[in-house]
Amino acid sequence: MADKQLACAVCQPKGICGGKGLLTLKEGAWGKNPLAIQVLGICSALAVTNRLENSLVMGAALIFVCVGSNLIVSLLRKHTPHRIRMVAEVAIIATFVILFDQFLKAFYWDMSKQLGPYVGLIITNCIVMGRAEAFALQNPPVLSMVDGLANGIGYAVVLAIIGFFRELLGTGEILGHKLPVFSEWYTPNQLMILAPGAFFALGIVIAIFNVIKGPAPEENK
Amino acid sequence: MKGNVYTIFYAAVLGTVCSLVLTFAASFTAPYKKANAEAEEVKNILLALNVSIPGKVSSEELVKIYKENVREQKQGGMTTYIYTPSDNTGGAIAMRFAGPGLWGPIKGFLALDPKITKIQGITFYEQEETPGLGGEIVSSSFRNKFIGLLIRDETGKPGIIIKSGGESAVNKVDGISGATMTCDKVQEMLNEAIKSIAGEKQ
Repeated sequence: MADKQLACAVCQPKGICGGKGLLTLKEGAWGKNPLAIQVLGICSALAVTNRLENSLVMGAALIFVCVGSNLIVSLLRKHTPHRIRMVAEVAIIATFVILFDQFLKAFYWDMSKQLGPYVGLIITNCIVMGRAEAFALQNPPVLSMVDGLANGIGYAVVLAIIGFFRELLGTGEILGHKLPVFSEWYTPNQLMILAPGAFFALGIVIAIFNVIKGPAPEENK
Repeated sequence: MKGNVYTIFYAAVLGTVCSLVLTFAASFTAPYKKANAEAEEVKNILLALNVSIPGKVSSEELVKIYKENVREQKQGGMTTYIYTPSDNTGGAIAMRFAGPGLWGPIKGFLALDPKITKIQGITFYEQEETPGLGGEIVSSSFRNKFIGLLIRDETGKPGIIIKSGGESAVNKVDGISGATMTCDKVQEMLNEAIKSIAGEKQ
């Protein structure tokens, strides 16, 4: 039902994002969640989620990049020559990613070391490029920012969920702190910190999301 | 034709604006990054020398601890870092080592006891080895194996061995299984460093 509502409310211009703000937000963060539903950008989701802290920073990075690049791409959408639009998008995305990377390197050195190349690799994250190409090119700036925010949040929340459970089960700690009762009797399962644990965790999260949301409409044909 | 000119113009302007933004960001963060890199190196030297560092310290504090405890000394083309505790017990001498790894350069610090007979600590501050295999050289469980390791074999020849399995020896540590190449290369660069400092001492 929610999907029908999304399809119908498109044509009523009201407010700063033409009355589509909330719907865009909901769709990006939940209905078409980039990680759990569309299964995009899972490379970084697998790589950096061994600690909750890493996941949160990575989520913040993606929100920043997605909002920023969507805004600029949308502002320039009527002036960008069609033939080089993707090159232009990559240039804009790369600028935001490097800005964030420099910020981390300067002020959060330890975090920057832990995330290593994965911050830089946001440039190639298909969520960012996908939103710029699929949404920001066709929509006004503010709405595009909302879309970037929604997808960023969608990514960040799933990352945080995976990071939370991987750290909890892999080390018995949360954010590097021992938990009162749990840490004492629980024997950390190293598998959860290593790469295979990421696959298990992501798979389970995707499954749970799909169970709650129900199967995608196009699969019902 | 107009389209082509416009496209090139657009690309040039966008490229210029992006690079200007990045240049500004890079020059703005440069001093912070330099301080971080310096603190990182100092921290590695302190860790190798086993100088106690309080849990959370800022970059400036690290540099201060370093200056208070560690003395740098040039010894025939290489710099050694000498730590003498205030109560004059123990202490250590550290040096830098570097060499090619499997995927990229490996760099680190090796700390020996003041008499240059055994290893007291080892740290790696740069490596790009395979995560989970060669990358495990940075783990404390691997690095701790080196503590107390003699740097000469029974016949007094300087050098250590990093190898999985085989006969044990006073100068041998267990390698990481699945990371033979990385271990071989680390062994090689450590031996080079050991030979040069052992040679200096004679």
